[in-house]
Amino acid sequence: MKYIFRASVLAFVGYVAGIWLTVTIRGGSPTDEVAVIFGFILGLIGWLSGIGGLEAFGRQWMGKKPKTSPEKGWTRYFEFSIDHKVIGIQYGVTFITVLLIGGIGAMLMRIELASAGQGILDLDDFNKVVSMHGILMVAVAVAGILGAFGNYIIPIQVGASDMAFPRLNALAFWLVPPVAIALLGAPFLGAFNAGWTSYAPLSVTNESGQILFNLAIITFGLSSILGGINVLVTIITMRAPGMTWGRLPIFSWACFAASLLSFCVTQFFAASLILVTMDRVAGTSFFGPDVGTGLLFEHIFWFYSHPAVYIMVLPGFGVILELVPTFARKPLFAYKAAVVGMLSIVGLSVVVWAHHMFTSGMADFLHGPFMILTEAISVPTGLVFLSMIGTLWMGRLWFRTPLLLAFGWLFNFLIGGITGIFLADVATDIHLHDTYYVVAHFHYTIVGGSIFGLLAALFYWFPKFTGRMYNERLGQIFAVWVTVMFNFTFIPLFWVGINGMNRRIGDYPEAFQGANRFASISALILGASFLLLIGNLLYSAIKGPKAGPNPWNSRTLEWQVSSPPPQHNFTSQPRIVGHPYDYGVEGSLYAVFDEAGAGESAELEGSPA
Amino acid sequence: MKKSWIPVFLLWLLFTVLGLLLVMNTTVLPAQYSEEAEVIDEAYELLEALAVPVMALIFAIMVWGAISWRSRGADREDGPPQRGSRLIVGLWLVVTISLAIGIVINPGFVGLAAVRGEPVSDYVVEIEAAQFFWQVTYPNGATALDELVVPVEKRVRYDVHSTDVLHSFWIPAFRTKIDAVPGLTTRVYITATHTGGIDDDVNLRIQCAELCGAGHAQMSLPVRVVDDAEWLDYIDGLGTGG
Ligand code: HEM
Ligand SMILES: [Cu+2]
Ligand SMILES: [Cu+2]
Repeated sequence: MKYIFRASVLAFVGYVAGIWLTVTIRGGSPTDEVAVIFGFILGLIGWLSGIGGLEAFGRQWMGKKPKTSPEKGWTRYFEFSIDHKVIGIQYGVTFITVLLIGGIGAMLMRIELASAGQGILDLDDFNKVVSMHGILMVAVAVAGILGAFGNYIIPIQVGASDMAFPRLNALAFWLVPPVAIALLGAPFLGAFNAGWTSYAPLSVTNESGQILFNLAIITFGLSSILGGINVLVTIITMRAPGMTWGRLPIFSWACFAASLLSFCVTQFFAASLILVTMDRVAGTSFFGPDVGTGLLFEHIFWFYSHPAVYIMVLPGFGVILELVPTFARKPLFAYKAAVVGMLSIVGLSVVVWAHHMFTSGMADFLHGPFMILTEAISVPTGLVFLSMIGTLWMGRLWFRTPLLLAFGWLFNFLIGGITGIFLADVATDIHLHDTYYVVAHFHYTIVGGSIFGLLAALFYWFPKFTGRMYNERLGQIFAVWVTVMFNFTFIPLFWVGINGMNRRIGDYPEAFQGANRFASISALILGASFLLLIGNLLYSAIKGPKAGPNPWNSRTLEWQVSSPPPQHNFTSQPRIVGHPYDYGVEGSLYAVFDEAGAGESAELEGSPA
Repeated sequence: MKKSWIPVFLLWLLFTVLGLLLVMNTTVLPAQYSEEAEVIDEAYELLEALAVPVMALIFAIMVWGAISWRSRGADREDGPPQRGSRLIVGLWLVVTISLAIGIVINPGFVGLAAVRGEPVSDYVVEIEAAQFFWQVTYPNGATALDELVVPVEKRVRYDVHSTDVLHSFWIPAFRTKIDAVPGLTTRVYITATHTGGIDDDVNLRIQCAELCGAGHAQMSLPVRVVDDAEWLDYIDGLGTGG
């Protein structure tokens, strides 16, 4: 705790110092955007040095012995720990908190939208809440699974003792709290009302909260890129002996694909926001009304943000593909096709961005090619689906909470994918673009694909993290509850969208009130389900029955070590001798452990004990 | 062991038939007031019909799986060790690629061509978007801020611009939408097919569809579709240069 305290103090001191220096040198007011920028930069440095991040790097560069982080006790979660398991939990708790805060925004909006006319939020406040909800949720979806489960699980799955760059990993995490604070602090500077997309020129002329948005997202991008490099290098260089690419667990593959994408494209979001920032404070006019570059922002922005939806959803694919074999007790169907599918998605996703711009007024000949490429993505996505349902086919389905959520995932993502076709078609998109149809569609893909994946992962790996079992009955009630209420909330929104209600509005014509009210009531019931989730997990983490190392009888490496795993993950070196998902294959072995010293090997099998 | 094929196939057939009956006998689309709306709705309905068998397949497998593949009680054993099948992956690829190519052609390119039409028009109307209102300029130079009046059965070209931030010119009853971009003139051609006004249909309105700031939600303008003669009278009555 003392480090958090020190970090907060130094962050505050840095922030004030930055502002004071700027005002002294340049004059002007302390709320000027230039002052805020320097305050943010010095505050960030103060934060990182307070938490011990700069020290960790400094010691290494100076050749001093690194400080060791404590191995036990809850205070290590509040320190610059370089243990990937600690960092995984830190990410997990942070992002679930952010998800809940974003959820409060969702509830506020749904309450406002429960009736036409003005309710609890005025129109501009509504826009600000939409923007805040949007960007917080995008952050959760982009980095939630990768940060929490990627960090915790990947090194163990590939048989390594940590990530490739443990310090960088910790740095990537500790960049996140300042991002959250800057975003949540933006209302003090008038908040940002340009949506999470922050299209210029609106984002050049709106209130100063936008500058905090820009700084936060640029910082968050840095964190994503650092995290991405780490995942890539870990998977490429640290796999256990015998773990060929064809034996890499599918969740690790999915995170590999997502990280590759995030490593390659995240810069573009930052670039577009740097241009906006320069327009705001440095007198440039990239997006000025007179220069005719009105579409520049959209192109750069979507060059990141379309791939971003796959950064959100690929880890979700990974989670579902990972747990379906375990709960169907069958090998993963067409493993190679699933891998090829995910890698093709990585490739294709960077050449489809302009499907968000079918009504933007871009050159007409661009519509055709972008439509073709977008429809093409349905083919590799289809392969991933085939792998999932092929694995379920004739399995021995063990309906535990993770599998129930996987079924919910399939249902939701199917609807998300199918409605995506309507938006990829130029003719239909001309009508549907920027309506509630899009809102419903992207909630089906982002919540359906990424958040449901996150929830399934949470239940699947909970016993591994905590060593305890969650309450199964409450878990199942939760799974059914979220799935049903999620659908009740968003199905009516397709209808209002098609019938003429556009998005990002705090008020709408009377005609749409019925469906909206239904959606609002469902949304509140949906929101309440999270109390059950949090209650179940918190209680079980402390009081739940002991889970043992492998409650699901899974074959992958993380289930072959104790729960939670020992400090360096393995007490003896695993060697991979087979395929990870050969459930039911007679006499198949996945890994053997070479006991240090003794010549014997412990054997593992995936069959139920 | 092959038994699941038959019930899944039957379920798929059932869901497909029910789904097709549903989408063919009901519509989720609002009333049409333009030729473009007819094209777009046709594309929508075609995609809907194509989506039915695809969704039915996944639902059939999920439903049958939940009913008959669940393992009961304690007798947990492993399923058949099926790692994959080239035949099925191949077939799946053939089907999904054909579907993708099919929808790119129709409604894809067919719909795109139809909705764009020929770049010819009977009249040109200018639309200027600004935070937070619409200004209409008719061919005779007359301007209006209170409503957009449209001649029925005439092809009108709308030249859209913005004086500040991005907006979007969307008339839900016409289904067409084009952004208003500062520094750029964007165009859209619309042929209205029925007369009417916002009192007949709430979708006869221009609605700004691109977030443009505080007044975005209320940045709308009633649209009235009238006979050509009435329209000419109307714009004459507005006078030139207002
Ligand atoms: C309880 C569940 C949720 C409800 C009821 C809800 C509701 C809403 C509403 C009413 C909007 C405004 C739509 C508009 O006017 O454009 C919105 C926007 C959005 N939501 Fe959610 N939401 C929920 C969960 C999520 C989650 C979990 C995510 C992602 C992980 C998410 C991502 C977004 C995004 C990206 C936007 C767009 C923001 C923008 O337009 O800038 N939402 N949501
Ligand atoms: Cu996209
Ligand atoms: Cu607007």
